[in-house]
Amino acid sequence: MNTNMERVLRLQDVKMRFLDNQVLKRINLDVYRGQIIGYIGPNGAGKSTTLKIILGLLEGYEGTVEVFGKKIEIGNVDYKRKIGYVPENAEVYDMLTASEYLTFVGEMYGMDRKQAENKALALMTELGMESAFYERISSYSKGMRQRVLIVASLLHDPDLIFLDEPLSGLDANSVMIIKDLLAELAARGKTIFYSSHIMDVVEKISNRIVLLVDGEIAADGSFDELKNSSEKGSLEAIFNQLTGFESHQETAENMVNLVMGEEQK
Amino acid sequence: MKELRILQVLDFFQGFFRFFQVDYQAMRSILEVKLTMDQRRIPTVFQANGTKPKEGNQFLKMLGIYVLYSLLIVPFLFFGDAYMFQMSIIFGIAFFILMTAMISDFSAVLLDVRDKVILHTKPVDARTISAAKMMHVFIYMFLMTGSFIAIPSVVMLAQHGPLILLLFLFEMFMALLFIIALTAMIYMVILHLFNGEKLKDIINYVQIFMAIGIFIGYQIVARMFNVVEMDLVYTFEWWHVFIPPMWFGAPFELLFNHHHSPGISIMALFTVIVPIIAIYLYYRLMPSFEQNLKKLMNVSITRKKKSRWTALAEKVCCRSKEERAYFKFASSLIRRERDFKLRVYPSLGLAIVFPFIFMFNQMEEGGFQGLGETKQYFFIYFSLIIISTVVHMLQYSERYNGAWIFHVTPSENPKRLYSATLKAFLVQLFFPIYLLLSIIFVFIFSYHIILDLIIIGITAILYTLSCYKIITKVDYPFSKKMESASQGGMTILYFLLMFVVGVFTVIHFVVSLVPYGSIIYMLILAFITWVSWAVVFRKKPAN
Repeated sequence: MNTNMERVLRLQDVKMRFLDNQVLKRINLDVYRGQIIGYIGPNGAGKSTTLKIILGLLEGYEGTVEVFGKKIEIGNVDYKRKIGYVPENAEVYDMLTASEYLTFVGEMYGMDRKQAENKALALMTELGMESAFYERISSYSKGMRQRVLIVASLLHDPDLIFLDEPLSGLDANSVMIIKDLLAELAARGKTIFYSSHIMDVVEKISNRIVLLVDGEIAADGSFDELKNSSEKGSLEAIFNQLTGFESHQETAENMVNLVMGEEQK
Repeated sequence: MKELRILQVLDFFQGFFRFFQVDYQAMRSILEVKLTMDQRRIPTVFQANGTKPKEGNQFLKMLGIYVLYSLLIVPFLFFGDAYMFQMSIIFGIAFFILMTAMISDFSAVLLDVRDKVILHTKPVDARTISAAKMMHVFIYMFLMTGSFIAIPSVVMLAQHGPLILLLFLFEMFMALLFIIALTAMIYMVILHLFNGEKLKDIINYVQIFMAIGIFIGYQIVARMFNVVEMDLVYTFEWWHVFIPPMWFGAPFELLFNHHHSPGISIMALFTVIVPIIAIYLYYRLMPSFEQNLKKLMNVSITRKKKSRWTALAEKVCCRSKEERAYFKFASSLIRRERDFKLRVYPSLGLAIVFPFIFMFNQMEEGGFQGLGETKQYFFIYFSLIIISTVVHMLQYSERYNGAWIFHVTPSENPKRLYSATLKAFLVQLFFPIYLLLSIIFVFIFSYHIILDLIIIGITAILYTLSCYKIITKVDYPFSKKMESASQGGMTILYFLLMFVVGVFTVIHFVVSLVPYGSIIYMLILAFITWVSWAVVFRKKPAN
């Protein structure tokens, strides 16, 4: 890894446990400026937990987390100014209109009200949502909500952007926009931390892939590096291999048998 | 967003918030958003008939009730210059009403963690978020107090003059601060001591105990003076210091009756110092409060053993397989949904206390011995009046969207879901409490009253059904959105429903005077209940 680059995020020996469940077992990760990190792993591997720790939503972890070269501490929220976040399960105040919600989020990041509203409108217009801008989010479709969340994460011009399954619910055209958007942001020096289950997308847009299995980093490198080491052709196949899952066909067959009430093989 | 007038008022005090290191602009934005959301009640996605959705802040519409309540305290203003007496009573009532509202309606706001992902990922410190929450509650409590003391203030001005009124308004403000800070701090302590899932249960029990505590406190205040003999001269006892409403009577006694005893002076001092200390402590502990609140988010997966009680109840009260499934579903929701519990459990506490309160009022003359021969066990009817609130709450859920499942599944008779839910409420919440009360009552009044207790139990079922018919506007339970501002369910309707309990009580009382009246009444009542339950939840004929 190129050490001349500016380090944006560093996790050192981060461990997290919920009661008897060791969710993260020693995570070490350095992230540099301009990288697009695809953070992947099976359900329950600890991806969201990692994001929550970095964003200060979870405490009680061991180890240190540094953002922009400074250790994050309880009570110090300043580092969040330069972070954007698209949460996984679309939490929004949906009684508000997109205009109100986005303006509010902008203000939370210290933007001026008018400025936040104009910028939000301009961004939403780019995504083809100017007509819905003054309607309540509760009336939106899933894809529309997702676009609001994406705009909300970018409004304040963050340097480090976390996206948890950002493409869910988006149509094919929007997916293309967002993919290019991420590439463009990275090219201009933003750092993207991207978590998803859709392997094709991760494969295409990430320049570094981090695979988390059972709270540990099982693989870390560019797609080509992973491909060379595992001799598989697609990220999906690599993912299956590294997570030790080979029996998908058999499982599928068993399930159909169960659904149709036949004897299980 | 419409500019909110209340926030413009708040702007005058920005210096105050800045002094306490609160980011005023951020707090104002959060408040603006929250208040705007309170004004927009969204009707359920699955609104059955095309009724036009009502908009507007439901809370503000409820303020009228508090004006009505305030008439209660007006008579006390005519006790001449027995300030200690009248003010203690007035503050006692005020404490009771405000604190009840605080526990049942605003706990949800204080303990809200739903928007954590939105707010805590922003560069806003915990203190500001907490201050916003506090002000959100404060604004409503302030309006509530305002409507509660409006009429009494006018009477007071006419009766006692402007000086007393000024002192009264000041003391009322202090009392309000005290109540909010006290409630918040009780939660803080609990949040600090306990973890995760357990915490949620404990908070519910604490709410019950707080509700009971306030009631008892109120009773003590009322009993402190011997009104019957019109002897209103106040004598200080050391333990009065532990009863906050008494404090608030003291400054009046001190300043206007020139009653300078040390006891009175100390209590008068308390009304100023204690609220300030409470608010200061709250301010100091605020950040850790927000941190600890996160515990509420932790989902620990504890698999509880299947309760035998539920399994038995399920077999006894539900006949079809479908209804049993619904019953189990409703029982789980009733026991697990935190928001529901936060709002309902305090009233369950009241159900336990209500009958005793009124009984003790009567007991003054006869004492405990005489009680056994009276018909005072009829006061157990008071435990029924909470049913309307709970039936109202059964319409709501935090996860109201989940109700789509009932729309897509092919149910034989969709009404059975509600029938099963009401049964689940009765079995899981009401009857355990009623049973407890009954045991205590049998102990006090002897086993002769068992028949009457059965009658009242059946009445509770019939009353639940009536409440459902009158209140419920949705096809499926748990299908309306739970709002942050109060939906506490106190409208004229609920007073009327309380009146229905009164009617049942009178009928029961009258038939109990007739030989064999009770037993015949019980049979008739059981029959009516059985038939009407079947009729209300019968299958709609296919069109």
